[in-house]
Amino acid sequence: MKWILFFGALIGSGICDRETFSGHQVFRINVRNGDEISKLNRLVNSDNLKLDLWKSPSAVGHPADVLVPSFSLREVKSFLEDHGLEYLVAVEDLQIHNEMDNIVKCYPHLASTVEIGHSFENRSMYVLKFSTGEGRQRPAIWLNAGIHAREWISPATAIWTAKKIACDYGKDQAITSILKKMDIFLLPVANPDGYVYTHTHNRLWRKTRSINPGTTCIGTDPNRNWDSKFGEVGASDNPCSEIYHGAHPNSEMEVKSVADFIKNHGKFKCFIDLHNYGQLVMYPYGYTTEKAQDADELDMVAKNTAKALASLSGTQFRVGPIATGIYRASGNTVDWAYDNGIKYAFTFELRDTGHYAFTLPADQIIPTAQETWLGLKTIMEYVQDNI
Amino acid sequence: MALRRQPLSAPRPGDTRPAAQRLAVPLLLLLGLQGAAAAGGPEDSGWLQDAEPSSRLLSQAARAALHFFNFRAASPSALQMLASVLDGRAWVNQKKEYKFDLVFTTEFYSAEEGEKRLGKCSAQVFFRNEKPRPSVNVTCTQLVKKERRQKEDYQLYKLMKQLKSPLNAVSIPDSHGYIAPSLRPIWDLAFLGSSYVMWQKTTPFLHYYMSQISSVKQWKTNDDAIDFDYTVLLHEFSTQEIIPCRIRLVWHPSKPLKVTYHCQERQTPEEASGAEDGSAVAPTGLSNF
Repeated sequence: MKWILFFGALIGSGICDRETFSGHQVFRINVRNGDEISKLNRLVNSDNLKLDLWKSPSAVGHPADVLVPSFSLREVKSFLEDHGLEYLVAVEDLQIHNEMDNIVKCYPHLASTVEIGHSFENRSMYVLKFSTGEGRQRPAIWLNAGIHAREWISPATAIWTAKKIACDYGKDQAITSILKKMDIFLLPVANPDGYVYTHTHNRLWRKTRSINPGTTCIGTDPNRNWDSKFGEVGASDNPCSEIYHGAHPNSEMEVKSVADFIKNHGKFKCFIDLHNYGQLVMYPYGYTTEKAQDADELDMVAKNTAKALASLSGTQFRVGPIATGIYRASGNTVDWAYDNGIKYAFTFELRDTGHYAFTLPADQIIPTAQETWLGLKTIMEYVQDNI
Repeated sequence: MALRRQPLSAPRPGDTRPAAQRLAVPLLLLLGLQGAAAAGGPEDSGWLQDAEPSSRLLSQAARAALHFFNFRAASPSALQMLASVLDGRAWVNQKKEYKFDLVFTTEFYSAEEGEKRLGKCSAQVFFRNEKPRPSVNVTCTQLVKKERRQKEDYQLYKLMKQLKSPLNAVSIPDSHGYIAPSLRPIWDLAFLGSSYVMWQKTTPFLHYYMSQISSVKQWKTNDDAIDFDYTVLLHEFSTQEIIPCRIRLVWHPSKPLKVTYHCQERQTPEEASGAEDGSAVAPTGLSNF
């Protein structure tokens, strides 16, 4: 089973009854001559396939984007292959944005999208906002995902979680109660350029795709670029390194967009960052092994979170501060959040512990998202009761 | 089930590799060190026991021991992976040597659905002067009966022999974590060879996971052995680097494994970090094979 089909699977799994793009895929088809254009038109116009031409081939060399429903996938692929037409299945950030739009369409009184900025390659940074209140800034929770491009389970879990929040509001007592008091902001792809790059070029890319002057080495580690003990331990000043911290704090637009938004909002109480792999629930600090002031409380919450995570499938998570749980790392999201007044700052390393690592198989997506949800709820419920 | 203990030990580490120069600061063993008097450790002078070794550090050492065990067992159908560390002690001395005493459980690497058996190992791991290639003394319970293991190894061997050469396969697993059943033997054999490399490269501060096979070739040899040439991408903790390693192994089910390898050195400013070295996924359509 492929990841691209996952989005169809998760919608069809009974989480939400609404009509959505269940299993649809966007094909980008290359047309190299007039003959291929007419073949493509024939395909698009065939009644039974129910294809939807999103972008027509304006000229030879300009690809067409076609939305293909799940029941037509096999036939369309056969047709394209039999006629020698080149095609790509559209990368998943496009699909993720589609999913976000669907959630807003289905739940307009709860969900909205906020554009908080752009990436280096000018991709929009969209955040889903879940709010039951009008007007003033309510205390809020930030769920961060996909900051490291190769950690695909993170945006996948985030999108599942978004649907879960939307669908369970009004039905599940815990999330309904949380949303009565607080807003939830969810950023499924904090590093869209990197995420696309892992689909088109290099599955194991980690950083952003920003240009570093004076070298062909691309990108900054967005989880070393935050303004918390920037440039100290556990980060590199070598732009070719996977943990290059960048020229200065918030040099990455992707990081600056989030930092500015959160600072301007002013009422965030909780920040959770999703990564993989390692199966860990961690809290500040990463930049030092000294105990954070609230370490005991955060440790207790983290332990309860790990219990909740294990309750579904028995997946064991270890708990501790970042510096000892994984390694020392300065300029990371969670340290920044904590040192900027967001006490309940946690980072998750989701499945697994190294067997499949970044390339977690598709059949683990939903179980991972389901157990993660229990962990997230544990934290959010605690925050709700303690602010 | 009949259990048999398989003691295996590595020779003292050689001098072939310089210590890795890293920005990442060594952790943990700097915490909570107690005097030698309080330690229940070996008689060698100057060993300070770490009062609270982190589970992360113990897991790292256990993995190194297991890499070595898998390599010496040379059985691609009976690879084991770390389940959890039951007990572990750590010592360091002024010569910057690290010593670990571990008891840990293991699982089958290629576990069938529902086949959840736990093995158990005890190991001593010794790093000389922060260098890689620790010396390892490891004893594990046998997860699989010898006859079954030999039979499955031989089946794998026959499958590999039948594969066309060169294989021209790319990216195992594919981007979505999928390994076609027909390619599973390749993965297992590659993991076996990579275990040797990962053992060789592990230091007290750096450890490895096998991420992906990025290219595969296989040569026929005059004798009966499988001659297998491939490039694997290792994920290095805590630098987060992806290290391509070209590995050549010669394997026959009943003989020790022979491995040679060359890993790409740390990238210079002229090389982008892993961007263009053939780890791309073929974009056309959904299937990669």
